[in-house]
Amino acid sequence: MPPRRPPTPPWWTLLILAAMAWGFYHLHDALVPFLLSFALAFLLNPVVHWFEVRGFRREQVVMAIYLVVAGIITMTANWVLPAATRELALLEGKVPGYITRAKELVGAAQFAVAHRLPFGAHVVESWNLKLYEPVMDQLPKIPAYVLGLVPLFSLLFLVPFITFFMLMDAPTFLQKGIQILPSRYVEQALHLLSELDAALGNYIRGVLIIAGAIGVASYVGLVALGINYPLAIATLAGISSLIPYLGAVMGMAVGGVIAFFQFQNLAMPLKVAVLFVGIRLGDEAIVQPFVAKHSVHLHPMVFLFALMAGGKVFGFIGLVFAVPAVCMLKAVVSVAWDWYVSEAQMVLDQGVDGSEVPYC
Amino acid sequence: MPSVLDSLKRFFEDRRFSARLEFLRDLPLCEGLRRHELGSLQQSFHSRVYKEGEALFLEGDIGRALFIVESGKVELTKRGPDGSPQRIAELGPGSLFGEMALLEQLPRSASAIAVEKSEMLLLYRSKLDEILHYHPRIGVAVMRHLARLLSARLRRVSDQVTTAGASFSR
Repeated sequence: MPPRRPPTPPWWTLLILAAMAWGFYHLHDALVPFLLSFALAFLLNPVVHWFEVRGFRREQVVMAIYLVVAGIITMTANWVLPAATRELALLEGKVPGYITRAKELVGAAQFAVAHRLPFGAHVVESWNLKLYEPVMDQLPKIPAYVLGLVPLFSLLFLVPFITFFMLMDAPTFLQKGIQILPSRYVEQALHLLSELDAALGNYIRGVLIIAGAIGVASYVGLVALGINYPLAIATLAGISSLIPYLGAVMGMAVGGVIAFFQFQNLAMPLKVAVLFVGIRLGDEAIVQPFVAKHSVHLHPMVFLFALMAGGKVFGFIGLVFAVPAVCMLKAVVSVAWDWYVSEAQMVLDQGVDGSEVPYC
Repeated sequence: MPSVLDSLKRFFEDRRFSARLEFLRDLPLCEGLRRHELGSLQQSFHSRVYKEGEALFLEGDIGRALFIVESGKVELTKRGPDGSPQRIAELGPGSLFGEMALLEQLPRSASAIAVEKSEMLLLYRSKLDEILHYHPRIGVAVMRHLARLLSARLRRVSDQVTTAGASFSR
């Protein structure tokens, strides 16, 4: 029976987690570009890795790939952003007209209800107080909310810059980190790194694949239906899908409203709704299984709680980063617990014949 | 034209990577692997330099990584009945040890101490899982070598038990 080190509770893990949470809470605004860069670096790393395993120097590969990616980003920024902003600006210009038209339609409906139904006037008054006025107050602000997302695009210039250094120097930092660790913690650190890499990498790649798929599918569908501003709606749906489940809902809501005012009937908004339900189902049936194959599985309640808590504490950024943060937290807790139970001999390893193998 | 290509190749080539690839190619663990497969395997390793006298792991630690000596020397010791460490092996470049940790989470049966400044390659068990999943050809090569290693050890222990049994019955 080999001598065992006394089991120690994972206090250090809890301490690091608490320090990280405290730091993140106070610095979350400044951390946003770094978090996005981290996500982009994760996305690009497999490409760098492909060349690295074939003997290419990381620095040169990063520079070469970076030139290509920077070109793509620049072209995308030059083409997509002005077009999307133009469409949104046009939409903003037309919204007052749409609202006037909506008011006319609602007014006509109210008139009909008040004059043709018993107690109609009372129903209309109650509806006005409870629903109509607050909704109509918020309607003119929708374009401002949407345009409020546009400053996020300025990160497109900052994020690639930070990503460049992350891609170049991450392995060196990692190597130095492993080197300065006391040798008895090297295996724990590798375990943690491996789990974080798997959980976070798969999540980030998955979310970006989903956002891209929803964006492209929305654009193709909206163009096929002949809806105005397809690029703006598709961009909005794609970006919104960074927050789980929101992409299709946003696309359906904005696309439906635009279709209603464009075609002045209910058939087209219904088609838009069917399109986005189809996209959501397609995402659920085709993309999600592919993405979730190796990602961290969260219980739906944990998932929802993370979104609500993230949104409450950090706003929009909290919504975007809530789920990956919980994935990381789960990986850290899982590693800490795994090490604690094995050090403390609380769980025995399974033998090849299914019987438990005692430690001694 | 070839000189331009050579210059370009030199510009992009990672010489440290190539040297480590040659080192891995000579290991029985990597027998039959192609160059890019060796590259993938190499990317799964972490390297660390241990100072003279530094413990890589101690007997009784829960092990989860395989170690390969890239340079330097490592001594494996095991506590004797009186508690004093007894040397069971001294390993040089190309040797691998701690492979049982890749298969099960059990305490290390020996301690490993760097006799001199040594550079080690570490393969963590979840990295092996990744290799098995994404690069099954490499995973099969690694597992085949581990199986051979275990088989050889089992045969040796079996011979020792047979010999001990025969001398006991005499």
